Amino acid sequence: MTSELTFTRDFDAPRELIFKVFLDPDHFVKFWGPAGTHTAPDSVIIEPWAGGRFENTMVSNADGSAYDFRATFLAIDEPTSFSWRETQSGMTSQTTLVDLGEGRTRLVIHQSDVPEGYRSPEAQAGFMTSLDRFAAYLADL
Amino acid sequence: MPDDLSVTFAALADPTRRAILTRLAAGEATVNELAEPFSISLQAVSRHLKVLERASLITRGRDAQYRPCKLQPEPLNTAADWIREHRQIWEERFDRLDQHLREIQKGDSS
Repeated sequence: MTSELTFTRDFDAPRELIFKVFLDPDHFVKFWGPAGTHTAPDSVIIEPWAGGRFENTMVSNADGSAYDFRATFLAIDEPTSFSWRETQSGMTSQTTLVDLGEGRTRLVIHQSDVPEGYRSPEAQAGFMTSLDRFAAYLADL
Repeated sequence: MPDDLSVTFAALADPTRRAILTRLAAGEATVNELAEPFSISLQAVSRHLKVLERASLITRGRDAQYRPCKLQPEPLNTAADWIREHRQIWEERFDRLDQHLREIQKGDSS
């Protein structure tokens, strides 16, 4: 457990396809927005080269409030990896596509430089979580 | 800023410090009590406690001799909340990507 996070999932799809789908705006909008939001198609800018823009706007289905995602690609190495850095937080995400054979692919998102001073107001509102929850959290580390 | 998320994560990166926090979840303890289960010196434990104190994960009592350590869970809660929310976003994103890839590939083969 460090200031780094890793998310991994195996897909029944070849990595060339996943690479293409991730960086193609028409496909990208199908999966990017968190639940309860949609990613506005005309807000998506994906410039797949080092220094290129990676931008989109996620809009809440409930109240129309918008969250702007702004990042810059650091490196693109088709079809095995790409990485970006979020402009505001500085958080870096390294995406790696591992060919598992038989048309299957492991997608690994490795995030580092987790934002300094990231503290949600809700979490700071002073609620004290039970020590049980604390112990459970430590057990998960 | 001594108590930001990065400092929290750095403090949690060490297994001995996590074990100390787990022990403190059961109640206050002195340095001697904390050192007992570990095969490391009191000085080493004190160094770990300093890191935890700087990360605002523990407080030390004022009693000059014993200075009992006490857990301060707020930074940990903040870190846990952030990780939980963030992990959920990616899990859902993977779910939708998986579904989308299935639909595309179905279309290709028909």
